[in-house]
Formats: sequence, structure tokens, C-alpha cells
Amino acid sequence: MTTLQPASPVVPGFWAGTAASFRAMIRRNGFGLLALIVLILVILGPLYSVVLWAFAERWQYPSLIPQEFGFTFWERTFARADIAEALPFSIILSLVVTLLSAVICLPASYAFARMKFRGRQLLLLSFLATNAFPRFGLYISIAVIFFRLNLIGTVQGVILIQLVNTLLLMIWIPTAAFQGVDKALEEAALDVGASRLRVFMQITLPMVMPALSAALLLTFVNTFYEAQGALLIGLPRVVTMPVLMYSLINSQLIVQYGAIVSLVLWLPSLLLLIVAQRLLRGGYLTAGFGV
Amino acid sequence: MATLDLTGIYKQFGSVTAVHDVNFQVQDGEFMCILGPSGCGKSTLLRMVAGFEMPTSGDIRIDSESVTALSANRRPTAMVFQKYTLWPHMKVSENIAFGLQLRRLPRAVIEQKVKESLALVSLSGYEDRYPAQLSGGQQQRVALARALVLEPKILLLDEPFSSLDAILRVRLREELRRIQRRLKITAIFVTHDQEEALTLADRIAVMNAGHIEQLAAPSEIYASPSSLFVADFIGAMNLIPGTVSGGRLMLGALPVDAPAGLSDGPVTVAIRPEDLVVLDAPQASAWSMTVEQISDLGYYRRAILEMPGMQSLKIFLPKALEAQERGTLHVYARRYLVYRDGNAPQEVVRGLPVSAA
Repeated sequence: MTTLQPASPVVPGFWAGTAASFRAMIRRNGFGLLALIVLILVILGPLYSVVLWAFAERWQYPSLIPQEFGFTFWERTFARADIAEALPFSIILSLVVTLLSAVICLPASYAFARMKFRGRQLLLLSFLATNAFPRFGLYISIAVIFFRLNLIGTVQGVILIQLVNTLLLMIWIPTAAFQGVDKALEEAALDVGASRLRVFMQITLPMVMPALSAALLLTFVNTFYEAQGALLIGLPRVVTMPVLMYSLINSQLIVQYGAIVSLVLWLPSLLLLIVAQRLLRGGYLTAGFGV
Repeated sequence: MATLDLTGIYKQFGSVTAVHDVNFQVQDGEFMCILGPSGCGKSTLLRMVAGFEMPTSGDIRIDSESVTALSANRRPTAMVFQKYTLWPHMKVSENIAFGLQLRRLPRAVIEQKVKESLALVSLSGYEDRYPAQLSGGQQQRVALARALVLEPKILLLDEPFSSLDAILRVRLREELRRIQRRLKITAIFVTHDQEEALTLADRIAVMNAGHIEQLAAPSEIYASPSSLFVADFIGAMNLIPGTVSGGRLMLGALPVDAPAGLSDGPVTVAIRPEDLVVLDAPQASAWSMTVEQISDLGYYRRAILEMPGMQSLKIFLPKALEAQERGTLHVYARRYLVYRDGNAPQEVVRGLPVSAA
């Protein structure tokens, strides 16, 4: 057994060595470091400014940080009737759209994965269409139809337009996941006496759960942030959070409102990221997949 | 414990006939192997018994009751698949218990049965493992336990060991036979591996191109294959084209004894390598052939012999016999089968020539 030596506080040439190795690191990883710094500036810079603005009471030009911090604007933001209404509405709307999308798309994707039918490949590719062209053009032509159907400015109209956006994710990801489940595993369950429904619920579904929850989370977050469709179809009567943020940023002189609303809008994606990580890391979903 | 009757089973996939008029009965407690090359329809036949495929026509009866119209989940059969089919999100115990839970058995009974079935396949203590934590051989044992725990009337096995390495395959094969004997369960085992079929089966059904070529005990199939296909497929065999003219059977330029009553025309003669004996001196009725190649297989040697005007022959040589490549051996066929036009063969058994060693 060797006894542990207490680390000596002063090591001769310690800093000199560090400086030398730092220089060596710069030489080796110079480009990487540069890229990292640029990334920090480009991504974290704006975030930093938004966070500061959200908690700033007073922030005038030459100063790098606000002169005064406080929560006054938080109170004022949530006291606004439009925000108090739009936030819960947006959350419920996203939940409804995600649920509807799942109800429509999951059986379809199971069919895509398990059945062979004419035009299967073409149909699958067709869901790419909504993403292949500039979306605004698509929305405008949809808006024309919706106008005739009196769907403009209605919740139903917004739900419909947002459903269009969810199709690709909610069909493609689950289809791939269902295809990944070996048919023999389902047959083995049938063989021991399970009904088709039970096979789906207890064998197939648990096995595609990681992919499925990823698709559901992505759909929820995408819908929550969707602004173009909601803007075009929903206005003037239906206002979601992202739509409201557009108007707050464009027409308000008070920067804090925009900053606070964006912070609030980050929340779901942060929360969902954490949940997703738990889902994927925690043993119960991926257990047995050798992950 | 049950019998299985297949009557007039056909299976058509589009224009392809996968199974063609299969009829047989599996006796109570019998271990039947369906043996054939890949694509011969043996797996399709098994899947029809399990209920995964519907026969185009024909009837499947278990204990004299027709199950043809029943879906897979209502049939009293249980299957072990070729692929690993343990459900990856369930522990070993949950995999085995799944079918029992569907039958709404009390929890204590389920636990007891899971325990017993794991003990049966020598995997006690593996209850809490996930399939990904098991080796291939262990996974197939659990799959066997999962099938057996339901006490099916018929146990179906679809090449369950084909993805395992050779040593493990042999060990699991022996274990399966032991368990089957102990439980006296009626079993059907599909394989393309003749050794597996010969060691496991009470009877073997040899399948080719959708129909059954021969159904008999392993020893009978080996000794008198009913068709050229079976003769070629089971064990090592020398197949030699010959002609009969005027009651004489000629293999190339060499005459051999013809079975009685054979009309003129082409035939095929099948000789097992072990039915060729080496004589110590040339004989009129023996062939003097050149040793092309000798492979030492441990307790015996396998040689390939050649001779002008005759195709090469496989022969087994005892270790004691002196032989080397390029040397000459005098071989004598003491037993062979003569096939013609897909009919049952005629057997010729001859005594050794007088001066033989």
C-alpha cells in the first residue's frame, strides 16, 4: 500500500507548465476553440441579452448590464389580459393538436409499417410535400379555402392548419419505429394466446415507446412554437403565444414584454428536454434494448 | 398430450404452391421432424399448424378436433421461433408469465410455474434478467420455457437452434430431447439439418418442393430412402447413373448385379460410402480405383476414388487400412439401391466375394 501524499500547494513551475500546455492546446485546437467562441457569441449572446432584459428594470445604452434588476415587468406582463389568455390557450391547443395528430397518424403509421399496398412509398413521400416548399405559400392557398369554409379566425381552423405541420413527424418517426419491431415478436405473443389488440398494447407499443414519445414531444413543442399558420388563420380572434409575441416585439416600445414572453416560451421545450432525457435514460423504456 | 392430423393440406402464395397435398398424423408424445432444404415449404407447414398462415385447402385437427378455422391465439399450440423472439422490454420471468397472465391464473400459481419452467431449461435464477442480458442459447431456452409453461398440446419448433454455434446446438438439441421425453409432449421440429433430425426424431418427414417425399423412422429413411431426392439429401451417398439392358445392369463399363425383373432403360444406383468395402486383391466383381483424396476425420478417413469411365466415389476407410493418395484400392459394393422414374428403389444385397479379406 502506498500512502497518499497531500498535494503540495506550491509546485515549482506549475503555472509555467500550464501556460506551455495551454499554448500547445491553442496550436493543436486553435480552430476548434475559435469555433467554440463564435458559437458562444452567436447562440448564447442573444440568450444572455434576452435573460438580462427580462429582469431589467432600467437598462440604458452604453452599459453592458442593466442598471437596475427587478420583477416589476413580470407582474405587469402577467397582468396583461392578452397574455393571461394566450398562455393557457396555447398549451391546451398544443395538447389537443398533439393528441389529434397521434389519433390520426399512429394507426396510419402502423399501416405503413405493417401492410404492403399500392402507392405506399408515394404516400409516405407525400407527407414530405408540406416541408418541401415554402410553407407560407401553402398557408395562403389553405387560407383561401378556409375563408370559404368560414374557418378563418376560428379555433378549429388553427387546429387544422397546425395538424398539417405535425403529419411528417408523426407519420415518419412512428412508421420507422413500427418497422423496427420484428413481426416474429408479435407472432410470439399471438402464439401464447394474446389478442391482436393486446399484442399491440403490450408488445408493439412498449417497444416503440421511446421513438413514439420523441415524436409526441417534438410535435407538442413544434405546435407550441408554430406562429405562421396560427397567425394567418387565427387572427384576429384566435391568438396563440407565439403570435402574441410577434405583436409584442413589433409594436411595443417596452422590450421587457418580449423578453419575458420568450423566456416563458422556452419553458416547455426545456421541460420537455428534461423529460425526454429521463425517458430515454431511465431504465424502464429502454430496458432490454441494450442501450 | 395430443395427436395432430393433417389432411390434404395445400398452401398457395399467388401462383406459387408452397405446400402440396400434405397428409400425416403425429402420434401422442411423438417427436416428429420435418426435414428439407430451405424453401421446401416446411416452415410454412409449421406456421399453418400454429395458425400464422391459413391453408388454402385441407384440414388440421388436434385431438380429432378441427383447428383450421381458429386463429393463432386460440390454438393449443406453442411455438419456439428461429429468431430470438423474447420481448425485449420484459424480464425473463415476465416473458414466461405473459401467456399465463392471459389465462388469468392466480399470481402464486404463475410464480410457481415460471420457476418450474426455468428449472426445466436449467435457467433457475434468471428471472430478473432482460433478454439483452442473455446469450443466444439462453434466449432460446427461455423461449422454450415460455412455450412449455403453457402446457400446449403440440409443441412447435421452427429451426430454434439454427442461429447458435455448433457445440451449443448439439447441447441444446440433447436437452430438448430430454425435456420432450420427460414431458411426453407431442412435438414437431422443423429443420434443414439432417443430423439434428436424425438424432431428435421418432419419425422424420422429408420435404421437397412442397410435398412430403418420405415419412419414416430415421433408421429407415437412412437405410431405404424412398426417392432419389431423399437418398441424396440424407447422409453421404454415391449416386451413379447406369443402364439396364437384357437383365444386365451396367455402371459405365462395369457390370453389377441387377435386381430381378428390371426392364431395359436408364436407372440410378445409390451406394452408401459405408457399403463399399475394400478388398485386398482385385476381383472380377470389384472395381480397382485410384485414390484421389484422403481426408482424415479423426476416428475414420473419407476418401474419394476415381476410375476411368466411372464417376468418382466417396468411401469411408478404417484407420487400420493402409491407403494413400494416388494408390489403388479394390472396392466392392455389398449393398446398393436401384432407382428408376421416381419409383421406390429395389435393393441389392450381395455377399462378399469368396477370397475377400
